[in-house]
Amino acid sequence: MVSRLLIGAVLLYIGILIVAPVGAIVHGAFSRGLGAFLAALNQPDVFHAFQLTLILSAAAVTLNTVFGVLIAWMLVRHRFRGRGLVNGLVDLPFVVSPVIAGYAILLLFGRQGWFAPFVQVTGIRVAFALPGMLLATLFISLPFVIREVMPVLESVGTEQEQMAHTLGASGWQTFWRVTLPNIRWGVLYGITLTLARTLGEFGAVLVVSGAVSGLTETATLYIFRAMDERQYLSAYAVSVVLGAISFGILMAMEGVKRRLAEERRLGTDNRRRRMALP
Amino acid sequence: MSIVLYDLVKRYGEQTVVDHVTLEVADGELFVLLGPSGSGKSTILRLIAGLTPVTAGRVFLHGRDVTDLPPQQRGCGFVFQNYALFRHMTVAENIEFGLVVRKVPPPERAKRRDELLELVGLAGLGRRYPGQLSGGQQQRVAVARALAFAPSVLLLDEPFGALDVKIRSQLRQSLKDIQRRLGVTTILVTHDQEEAFELADRIGIIDRGRLLEVGTPDQLYHRPQHEFVATFLGNANLLAGTCEPDRVRLGPLSLPYPGAMSQMDAEGRAEVLFRPEDLVLAPERNGLNGPALGAGVVEQVTFLGPLRHVRVRLDPLPGTWPLPLRYGEEGIPLTVALLSGANGTEEVRVGQTVWVGIRRFHVLPRIALRLLIGTDGSSEAEHALYLAARLGQDTGGSATVLMVGEGRAEEALRSHAGETLKTAVADLHLKARRGELGAEILREVAQGEYDLVILGGQADPRRPWAGSAAAERLIRESPIPVLVAKTPRPAIRRVLLCLAGGEPGKLDVMFTARLARRTGAMVTLLHVHQDGEPADTPEDARPDPWLTRQLERGRLTLLGQGVRAEAKIRLGAVVDEILAEAAEGDYDLIVVGGHIPSHLPAVLERDVAAEVVAQADRPVLVVRGKLP
Repeated sequence: MVSRLLIGAVLLYIGILIVAPVGAIVHGAFSRGLGAFLAALNQPDVFHAFQLTLILSAAAVTLNTVFGVLIAWMLVRHRFRGRGLVNGLVDLPFVVSPVIAGYAILLLFGRQGWFAPFVQVTGIRVAFALPGMLLATLFISLPFVIREVMPVLESVGTEQEQMAHTLGASGWQTFWRVTLPNIRWGVLYGITLTLARTLGEFGAVLVVSGAVSGLTETATLYIFRAMDERQYLSAYAVSVVLGAISFGILMAMEGVKRRLAEERRLGTDNRRRRMALP
Repeated sequence: MSIVLYDLVKRYGEQTVVDHVTLEVADGELFVLLGPSGSGKSTILRLIAGLTPVTAGRVFLHGRDVTDLPPQQRGCGFVFQNYALFRHMTVAENIEFGLVVRKVPPPERAKRRDELLELVGLAGLGRRYPGQLSGGQQQRVAVARALAFAPSVLLLDEPFGALDVKIRSQLRQSLKDIQRRLGVTTILVTHDQEEAFELADRIGIIDRGRLLEVGTPDQLYHRPQHEFVATFLGNANLLAGTCEPDRVRLGPLSLPYPGAMSQMDAEGRAEVLFRPEDLVLAPERNGLNGPALGAGVVEQVTFLGPLRHVRVRLDPLPGTWPLPLRYGEEGIPLTVALLSGANGTEEVRVGQTVWVGIRRFHVLPRIALRLLIGTDGSSEAEHALYLAARLGQDTGGSATVLMVGEGRAEEALRSHAGETLKTAVADLHLKARRGELGAEILREVAQGEYDLVILGGQADPRRPWAGSAAAERLIRESPIPVLVAKTPRPAIRRVLLCLAGGEPGKLDVMFTARLARRTGAMVTLLHVHQDGEPADTPEDARPDPWLTRQLERGRLTLLGQGVRAEAKIRLGAVVDEILAEAAEGDYDLIVVGGHIPSHLPAVLERDVAAEVVAQADRPVLVVRGKLP
């Protein structure tokens, strides 16, 4: 009896929190049929918004993967002055509100900002333009790859790398042939998390971009404006597409996570086999 | 010579992991480095392979100095204890790795890979992943991978450590076959002596970073030069006996030993080694075909398959004692090996009295004390050099003089110290450092291997610590005994061993025995019964019977080591009574143990050792037991 009550409570909770909102959005999007749904998507503004979101996500994922692996490698394999500080700073985007991050970028690159001379000399606009939006996106998605790769690097240890050195492999060969294959599932999981985070980012980008329709408006910003302007169908339709992409990423993540766990289990199994003997 | 290590040193901060190791390994030799865990043997392999940078010394491979080359350019095949196989690669890819990074063309690679799979007996398993192989198979892959690029030397770090016993012996044989067939010079590191015996052309015994002895398994087992080697390899019965011209004496028994006098120490003692199989048992003396060591009682019989180990406690023999020294034990414990099923061995029973005879024995080189003398050129330090010369003469050990000073003073000191000690000590080293004396001595003690620190001390009781801040620090922090040399005495004839506070320390009794045995001194054990608190009953005022017994045990231990000893109890304040006794008996040396039980109230936890050192007017030796 009690367990039935509990199961009921859990279902109700999840229903209210997840199923109902999703259902409402899907219902809203298709309330006037598939034709209207497609028509709502087939607008230059919507098209541009998705394009911008994908560009930002792709750029952020690429940069944060390269630098994320590098930072993780530095933090795990090297002991340097200020290592603890860097290690702590990496987590900052987790705790600082994205809006604050957005304002910080405006303070740096705005008309009276520290880097205003740079902006004037080079003519590259940062605030209220793509570079600023990319900076904001990079900031909020920095920790994911680092935090996923670090434990994997640690558990793999240095022995295989040293082995590769004795076998004649250069540092570069060792990285591509030994280190990277060993951490690949960790990297991939970090990438999916980064992607999911960047696709859904709203606050920091809103502050930095100024949300100019057709210019600096991402998918999330579009939804926000559409709602504001009572174009509910467009808002619902874009939400459904964005949600579907996120759901796809979620599924992919589950797959990667399983491989990662398997790898870790194999690793520990092996270690246990080594330890158990006299 | 394929591998030459010259004066190799590796330090991590204050800790010396590899301590001046020099070694030559011949072409095609299978050399085994054997030592307890943490002895630095794996580090030596890593230094050879270039995985760890050396602190000092050189590494030569086939005549080429590779000390400053990265591991990639050394061409060492390496096998880690846990193999470090590339888990994301197949067995074939693992083996080919060394060839791929060298850009060897694929057909050649495949040929070499198949050869190696064949060689290690894994033909047909090339497509498997390491995770799909058993531990033994993984080990073979690791060996094949290390050999694939035809390395100049093969280095194996405990390659059988992760395998169970049955597979282990099987793989040992196959490794030896492979090594013979390829003729590749190999160093194998292990802590398993059986493995070392089975595989090695030669064995190097390593202990605390120092390569103690190198030789064939037979040499090291039957004719070791160090006590550590004798006891680490197999079972050892070590007895300290006396030397006579061309003979060694153990109690009433005198064994012919040509050149025996060269093996003895100043007191004419020698260490005699009997392996369990060197001894024989018989129910009667007449049953022994050869010299009899004595009679004893069987304490234990252990069945070991082909052998039976019989533990016999021999009745005490005059002038003979077992090594390493055991505290408060009577008689001489011996382990005797009997072949299972041999005639009459079934009759050996626990509690039975048997005679132990000798089939074979080996005499170890002299036992010696290793002294470290700290000096800063002050007049107090003179006392230390003088006392060290005395002790050096008596104990026949080695001495290292650590000079802490500046510029020219240092040079003067060097020649002076050399003159003082040269005639007294055969094995003399001089070292110079800059810095603070106490700190430098502590550093040296942590790095080197010494039995005793000697340094000078101010003899004026009114200025207890003047000029001897180092002494104050050392008696608190030194892990080995510290001798503070005050007003020098012409010889060490009388030793006052103070069992201050609580339980008499074992270390202080043992160390005093060691010292007194060599100097021929008489030892007085002193316990001071505190009269600090008024006794409730007359019984309380009397010394604790348990303590009296401890004192007596200490005395018996000393007697057992051939040291003359007496026990005394005084009533009063600890430090005052110690100093009074020292003055009355005109002792040459005061020994203070550092045991302070931590359950005592803070008031009582005074450092007796420090106070005695501060106030005494004669040499004080502080032997601090390890704190619990």
